[in-house]
Amino acid sequence: MLSGIKTWLRALLRRSQVERELDEELRYHLERQTEQNVRLGMSPEEARHAAFRSFGGVEQAKERSRDARGVRGLEDLWQDLRYGARMLLKQPAFTLIAVLTLALGIGATTALFSVVNGVLLRPLPYRDEARIVTLWQSNLHSGVAREETSPATFLDWRERLQSYEAIAAIEPFGHSLIGNGEPERFRSWVVTENFFEILGAAPLQGRTFLPEEFGTGRGNVVVLGYGLWQQRFGGDPHLVGRQLTLNGQPHTVIGVMPPEFQYPPGRELWAPRGPRANDRQIRGGTYIKVIGRLKPGRTLAGAQTELQTVAAQLSAEYPQTNAQVGAVIVPMREVIVGQVRRGLLVLFGAVGFVLLIACANIASLLLARASQRSRELAIRAALGAGRARLLRQLLIESALLAGLGGMSGVLLAYWLIEALVALSPGNLPRLEQIRLDPLAGAFAAGLTLLTALLCGLIPAIQMTRPNVQAALKDEGRTATGGRTPQRLRQLLVVAEMALALALLVGAGLLMRSFVTLMRVNPGFTTERALTLEVQLGRNRTPEQMAAFVAQAQERLSLLPGVQAVGLTTALPFHDNQIVIPTTFSIADRAAAPGQESTAYQIGVTPDYLAALGVPLLRGRALTSFDQADAVPVVLINQTLARRHWPLEDPLGKKIAFDSFGRAMNCEIVGVVGDVRPRGLDQEPQPEIYLPYAQAPFGSATWLVRTAGDPLSLLPAVKEKIREVNPTQTFASIATLEQLLDHSTSRRRFNLFLLGSFAALALLLAGIGLYGLISYTTAQRTQEIGIRIALGAQGGDVLQLVIGQGMKLALAGVALGLVTSLGLTRLMASLLFGISATDTLTFAGVSLLLLSVALLACWIPARRATKVDPMIALRYE
Amino acid sequence: MGKQKKTDLLQGMLDLLVLRVLRHGPLNGWDIMQRIQLVSGEVLRVIPGSLYPALHRLEAQGLVAAEWGASENNRRAKFYQLTAAGRKQLNAEWETWKRFSSAVELILRDA
Repeated sequence: MLSGIKTWLRALLRRSQVERELDEELRYHLERQTEQNVRLGMSPEEARHAAFRSFGGVEQAKERSRDARGVRGLEDLWQDLRYGARMLLKQPAFTLIAVLTLALGIGATTALFSVVNGVLLRPLPYRDEARIVTLWQSNLHSGVAREETSPATFLDWRERLQSYEAIAAIEPFGHSLIGNGEPERFRSWVVTENFFEILGAAPLQGRTFLPEEFGTGRGNVVVLGYGLWQQRFGGDPHLVGRQLTLNGQPHTVIGVMPPEFQYPPGRELWAPRGPRANDRQIRGGTYIKVIGRLKPGRTLAGAQTELQTVAAQLSAEYPQTNAQVGAVIVPMREVIVGQVRRGLLVLFGAVGFVLLIACANIASLLLARASQRSRELAIRAALGAGRARLLRQLLIESALLAGLGGMSGVLLAYWLIEALVALSPGNLPRLEQIRLDPLAGAFAAGLTLLTALLCGLIPAIQMTRPNVQAALKDEGRTATGGRTPQRLRQLLVVAEMALALALLVGAGLLMRSFVTLMRVNPGFTTERALTLEVQLGRNRTPEQMAAFVAQAQERLSLLPGVQAVGLTTALPFHDNQIVIPTTFSIADRAAAPGQESTAYQIGVTPDYLAALGVPLLRGRALTSFDQADAVPVVLINQTLARRHWPLEDPLGKKIAFDSFGRAMNCEIVGVVGDVRPRGLDQEPQPEIYLPYAQAPFGSATWLVRTAGDPLSLLPAVKEKIREVNPTQTFASIATLEQLLDHSTSRRRFNLFLLGSFAALALLLAGIGLYGLISYTTAQRTQEIGIRIALGAQGGDVLQLVIGQGMKLALAGVALGLVTSLGLTRLMASLLFGISATDTLTFAGVSLLLLSVALLACWIPARRATKVDPMIALRYE
Repeated sequence: MGKQKKTDLLQGMLDLLVLRVLRHGPLNGWDIMQRIQLVSGEVLRVIPGSLYPALHRLEAQGLVAAEWGASENNRRAKFYQLTAAGRKQLNAEWETWKRFSSAVELILRDA
């Protein structure tokens, strides 16, 4: 057995030596035979000849010995490979273009696969993630499908729901760090017991919270996220166990989480949240996220029903706050990636189209080459090469191209992934999971194989059809150049055009959506405005907070370069707005049960709305005289005014609601314009603006309108605020423009990618058409020469050539339109302001494609008009 | 009739004869051919054009192992030797041949 393998290996690796040995062995035999013949009386000459003849065929024996070695298959393959490589090297331009095209196609598809794999497919780093769910309130009155809940509701849920092993609450919080370099404010989460256990994620270092750390006074411990640990503390291995001064108190760092742990996303500091005295009273403020782990055996549907039942109970028990409030369960994975799933899948499909177009181009080129080699192939067939062998020869060439393209594609994918990660919107979930890994490598290998087959089979099968006779008789290139390969290439070009059109339609729709979105008026002015988020409530009474705000406001407004200053608890487009849905009743108007009015209350300083650029529509703005002890007044926005006083003037009317636990009865003194709260694609909501002094929430944002570049004023602004509070820290510092940009970053990303794919597809399809028309026109040189000799004008020739090409383009556009009509509904959720079958877009991109096709036909057509009939007629 | 028939039979049996001839020690191709022709009393003629491919096939199958050595008058020749697997194969094929030939004998004698 072993010796057999040794022989086989030797035959494979030491071919020339084995051949020499074979030769020597047979020569030895012939010599012995010759000697014997001489001994039998022949002359040396005769003896040699006789020996040779009696051998029984020396060359055939060698051939059969070679076959017997068992490496024939491999040797043949190697021979074919070398032959294929030589063929490719003979036409470097073709080979280079083909490899580059394939590299681009395979690389881009692999890169996007890595993104889809990392974001959508890889399992979450939590134990048994299918059982982890998030719980939300749904507000039927305001139409919000999913919103955070309140502390009191959470406690009720925890007591009444039976379907869960545990549920935990998460509240947004902030921790200010001093004494460790520049004072900095970190946004954080405070969580109730079982938070880490529900997720089942183990810390990278240290530990998570113990049950006793949730008791009052014992909660001075924090867990850090990986990113924060690296960026702020340099990945210090001894950080766990050390103390940091957070919010004025020493806190011990007890653990660091691994990089994949990102729940809830956006903050990297977790602290325990013990019970607070007023938890049971707060039912209106919605800022608590809830997660839970289903008990084994409980279904999602069952838990949903149970939750809705409890929500109905609470609705009945607390009609003021919880009427019209339902609840919904959303699986964890859906919450994390649900938003981006559709967009990513559309992009993945799009890049697949690009790859298909690239393959079609290569297949078309291979078809052209194969038809040029039809004579060579016919001869080889006549000499005995089986169809399988010829097929293999052609397939090997396309396999070589695909292999080279695949390898370069993987390299390209690596670079593309880096670029994609760098360009992607910061809020792309699971960004850290995107990388080139063995699975992506396997995917690329599979793509390469598929590509080789796609590109190679069509020409290979076409060209090895057994019409040897016809090919041998075919002297040179005739006027037709082979009917069937042409039709196949035409089909390929039509398919390419259709795919390219589909991509162009998609990109066009996204672009129009984006343009429409950008035209939406946010309701305020976005230029030259600086925003800084601050924490005001630590260790301060409401009076102190109001005083601090007033002092800081005064100092800031005196700063040169500052046009206006204001403070608000809910800055539009800010991701840390304080959202207080408030039910209110209108004086002298009995509210029908179930018809309570809801609005969002926002605390502002007097100049804020003017600083923001929100127009005052009626009445007056708030002034510094509207203090905590004066007659309570409010401003309302236009949405609120229209909804409840469509025909009357709301000025002077009174509304009653709860703020900060106090009952307020306020007079409406002004109506201001609407703003879009979180995104340009969101409708304005009813809002009530109170003087900050009457609604001193702990976290608020300064807005500073500047004359020049806002960021250049940042150090001065910080300094002025620190004059009033030396240890002031700032979270989130950004300009309004940056906030707005951030809100559209995902759309821009999708548009950029889909647009690039569409442009690439257009280019490839155009090249494909150009290639085909060039080729067929060159084939018809004789015919064109005859036509010109018979009196055809330049225009006639142009018409002939361009007509041929445009027929294909029109067929492609028609096919593409039909396909697009079916496909675009898949991306309807990505659009804004236009329908998925928007006629203008469809028409526009069709025209674009036809223009490019026209150009692609025109160039060879022009060449054709320059044909000299005399030369053409002589040309064979 | 004569020689033609003998050749056909011989080619089918060649592997078995080669293995048997090698049982007593390594031989090169020429020697194998001589031995078979000698021992059979010149009745069986081996065609070299079939012998060498057969030897190489047996080598590839691991039934014989080959080594270059010096023949008489010190010329280089390739010597073949039976391997353990070859020995087993020889016994198996010999058994098969015995059964086959006795069956044929029975029919020719008594049918």
